[in-house]
Formats: sequence, structure tokens, C-alpha cells
Amino acid sequence: MSQNSQRYQVCSICVMDSNNPGVTFDESGQCVCCRDALARKPHEWWPTKEGYNRLEKTVERIKREMAAKPYDVMIGLSGGVDSAYLAHLLKRKFNLRMIAVHVDGGWNTEAAVRNIEKIVRQLDIDLYTHVVEWEEMRDLQLAYLKASVFNQDAPQDHAFFSTLYRLSKRFEQKFFLSGVNFSGESVHVPRGGYPAMDARNLRAIHRSHGVGTLDTFPLLEPLHYLWLARIRKQLQIVKPLDYLPYDKEAAKRELIATYGFVDYGAKHQESRFTKFYQEIYLPVRYGFDKRRLHCSALIVAGQMTRDEALEQLERPLTTPEQAARDKRFVAKKLRISVEELDRLVALPPVPHQKYANSQTLYRFNGVLRKLVRGRL
Amino acid sequence: MRPRVVPVLLLDSRRRLVKTRRFGEPIYVGDPFNVIRIFNEKEVDEICVLDINATVEQRRPDVGFIRELASECFMPLSYGGGVTSVSDASPIFAAGVEKIVLGRAGTDARIIRALADEFGSQAVTVCVDCKNTPEGWRAVVDRGLVVTPLDPVRLAQEAEAAGAGEILLQNVDRDGERSGYDLELIYRVSRAVELPLMALGGAGELRHLVEALVAGASAVASGSTFVFLGRLRAVLITYPSTGDIEQMRANLQREC
Repeated sequence: MSQNSQRYQVCSICVMDSNNPGVTFDESGQCVCCRDALARKPHEWWPTKEGYNRLEKTVERIKREMAAKPYDVMIGLSGGVDSAYLAHLLKRKFNLRMIAVHVDGGWNTEAAVRNIEKIVRQLDIDLYTHVVEWEEMRDLQLAYLKASVFNQDAPQDHAFFSTLYRLSKRFEQKFFLSGVNFSGESVHVPRGGYPAMDARNLRAIHRSHGVGTLDTFPLLEPLHYLWLARIRKQLQIVKPLDYLPYDKEAAKRELIATYGFVDYGAKHQESRFTKFYQEIYLPVRYGFDKRRLHCSALIVAGQMTRDEALEQLERPLTTPEQAARDKRFVAKKLRISVEELDRLVALPPVPHQKYANSQTLYRFNGVLRKLVRGRL
Repeated sequence: MRPRVVPVLLLDSRRRLVKTRRFGEPIYVGDPFNVIRIFNEKEVDEICVLDINATVEQRRPDVGFIRELASECFMPLSYGGGVTSVSDASPIFAAGVEKIVLGRAGTDARIIRALADEFGSQAVTVCVDCKNTPEGWRAVVDRGLVVTPLDPVRLAQEAEAAGAGEILLQNVDRDGERSGYDLELIYRVSRAVELPLMALGGAGELRHLVEALVAGASAVASGSTFVFLGRLRAVLITYPSTGDIEQMRANLQREC
């Protein structure tokens, strides 16, 4: 998918490359992604004593505000390192009363399930699971593959955030403490990706290519989402890991030593579908290796050198045998043949905007809010 | 041989896995294949899948579906639901199932005898569903809707005499409660038969499994223990590691 007008180019600072249409470079050879991330760094990451003090103050404020409620905060637990480390930090350092939310979309690895079990048992955290009806999930994911849009992880992500908002009302919660962190996730492709929280888009894709109905799938309608997320601010999202010198590798070692955490390899492979999406779907279709984002973020964070990153990218994402196994697994679960799955991966990409969506509404809301604040 | 620890999975009419409470209030726990795959990796001793509505809805076992389940299972699989005869059971065994679990058919000595003669006692488990009534313990059938005049001890003894290989002792009152088995019932029934008795109904944690073994069960089965976690009954597939089970056995020997 490289731009034919351009020669292939890798950023001189990080490892983002020109295979991604959104990635542009300045005269010095630096890409727009890491330039942007480096510019944001002082405003989004405070790995200092002072940062930690700010986090302590935030936690104190939350505890005061939530004293009469059943929990202080909500967190997510996927079975991965970031969310597990966050749970560990919040319990051991701050002794927050937490409700951990897990959404089971039918793709959990055994390692993910075991890690969740270890964390909630040893830290005595209340876990809440929402199990998505598998037949609906399967139908929806097949619809996404057939629609051939970019964000194949949208069904899983949408289900998670919808569940979070529903539960926040049920348990009277105001704070979601997220494991998202600058240190490993600061690098984005401009206009890359598509937001998962667009129920109108999800519905339109399902209407076009699904066969059943989404009777129980946790959908959050656009207006409802706007109301909850941006107007009422039902949930304040705090990212505690951004107030620490957070280093994922060190965090993983600590979790392994403390809880017998299971190391399952690459980033975000708590879900077997995400593994397929990142190791097979994205590279085959877009020539896009997601490790470039993560390595580039680590370079920005000063936790990896460019040479180390290049060396890591030299190693294959997956082996042909492993890829074949993963494809067989995904095809079998979706009840299609491997040939059909290959055909779906090879379809020409279609923009999400080809289907009805709420992007205009969301943008309009942003404009409105600026108007209200007298910023235009 | 360490005692077997067996997850029990319940299928509803739409082939969804559910977990009940006192045989009602089914909660969705996932797709059978997803759940079985995770149990595979946890190296479970044996797995028991029961179609809880088959008899009541007068459905025959769906052999194609059972074959898919069996082919997905790395561990021995026992199946129950709607089996009433040798001709029902033959294709199920052919599909790779190791044991048949009889519910209502377990109250009919002729059916037990016919199955035991045809496939061997080791392949026939009789599930005795028990309810505590004002008249004392009674065996019940058809998802607990029909109370028989039989005492569970009597039913277990009759099943043994007819050639069953194992008793699965289920307690309707404690199903899904996660507060422990009725140990007295286990003690009473296990003393009354020579057959291995597998306790079911009421467990919520490892401690409960040990208690049942101390009370006389030779194996322990549970749904809730392996599909729910914590105060909020969060669906999460778990299974004790070999180390946990060894620890359990050590505790057991200390207590005996």
C-alpha cells in the first residue's frame, strides 16, 4: 500500500515508515508521528516525583468524592500487562477500592484468563465480566471482515466501552482509571484508524453484511455516547501510568515475580482475534506492522534505541506455521473455511465512511463546545 | 490416582452454555467451543456436558453437535441429555464420548442394564438429582420439576444393582449457590454404594471440593467453581493447577 509517488522511507528518529499513507517526513527525514509525540511528551507524561505527587492528590480527591459509593474507581482487565500493572499499583500503592471490568468477546486466550484470575484473587479485587453473546459477536465480526473496513477490532472495543458506561451508572461510578500510557502508545498515524465508539457505523456495517440481529450486543448509541462521554462527563478518564516512569518490560517482570503472571508475547495479544488482526490482517493488507508504532513510542519514551527497534523489526512478526495455525483457529471459530478467510483478507480496503456514521455529529459536537466556550 | 476434578457445563436449547441457580435463572457463560478450548489448555481431568432441556423438550441428542464437541475436547468427555436407549447412545459413543450421563432414564433399571451390557459399566453414569422435602430427601427428575417418591440412597443402590459405573450426585437446592456441598447427603449416599460417587451442586471454591472428598466422594464436579469468580459472580474460566490439587490432597490426608 505504499504511495507510488514516493520512495520508501523510514523516519530518521523513530521507525515509522512511508508504507503508511498518513506518514509524512520533513527535510531532515523526521516523520510527523514522532515529531508530534515528542511535542506532546512534556504535556502528557510526567515520570517525575512531581508527577507522582499529582497522582497522589488525584487519588485522594477520588477517595473523598467516592467515599459513600461501593467502589472508588473502575478499571479494565484484559489479561495484558498494562491493565494488570495498573491494578497492582492502585491496590498496593493507593489501596483504592476497585471494580475491574472484563468483556469476554469469545477470543480470550488461556493466558489472559489465567492472568486475570491471578490478579483479582491475589489483590482481592471485585471482577465484573460481561460475556458477549457469541453468535452475535461472530455475525458482527464476519460483517466487518466482509465490509473490508480498517478497524476490525471495533466490535471488541465498542463492547468494552459500552459495558463500562452501563456499569458506571449501575455502580454509581465516576472515574475510569485506564492502563493506556504514553510510554508505549504515544505514536499515532495522523487520521489513521477509525474510532470504535460509532454505533451508527457499526450498525450500518452489520446491516449490510450481517445475517442475524444484534439483540443483546452492548451498543452505545451516538447521541447517548455524546451525552454520557462529552456532555455529562459521566466518566472521568484518568491514566495513572502517565504519572510514573512506566516501562512495560520492567512492569511485566515485576508482575511475573509478584503474581506468577504469564508472559504471552507481543502487545495486545490477550485476544486471539487481535493477534490475527495485528500479525496477519494488517501486514498482509496494508503492509502495516503494528510493532513500528510500539517501538517508535518506546524510542520517544527513551526506553529503546532506534537500532534496537530496527533489530526487533528484522525479526518476523510470525512464522508461516504459526500464521497458518492462527488462521485455522480464526476461520474455525467464525465457521468459515481458511480459503474464505484468505479471500476476506485480500479484499480491497473500504473506508468506514462508505457506511453510515456519526463522525459529522461528533465533529459538530466539538465545534459546538468550542462555540459555547467562546473559542471560535 | 488423585481424585478427579470435573467441570460441568450446561447447554441450553440454543446450544449456549449457561450456569443455573437451583436449576433456574440461567446465566450465559459463553460459547461451548470457546470454553472447552480454554479448559483444554488448563489440562482438565475430564469434562461433563449436560443438555439440561433435552428431556423436558423431548429432544433427541444432536449427534453432529456432540461429535464437534468431542473432537474439540482434549480430555475425556461425558455427555448427558435426552439419552433413553442403546440406539440413542451408540452414535454418541461413536462420536468420541467416553461416558453417558442418565437423568430421567437413570430411574429405569432396564435402560441402565441395557446400556451397561452393551457398552460396559464404566461408560454409564447415573445422575441422581436430590431435593430436600418435608418428607426428607427425594430424587427428582426433569430439571427438578418432578419429585419421585424415591430416597436418593435407594435410587443410587438401584442404579448400582442395574450395572451403572458411577453416581453423579446432584443437589438441586445447592446448585449454583457456591456455599459448599451438602456433606451429609454425600456421606449418606457414598456409604450406601460401592460405586464411585461424584459430588455436584453447591461448590464455589477449592475448599468445598476437599470437603466433599473428605465426606466420601471419590470425585468432585462443579459448574460455578470453574466458571465464576468472586463476589459479583464474574464469568471467568478457572481450574486448579496440579499444584493446587496436590495441596488439596495433602490437606485431605491431614484431615482424614
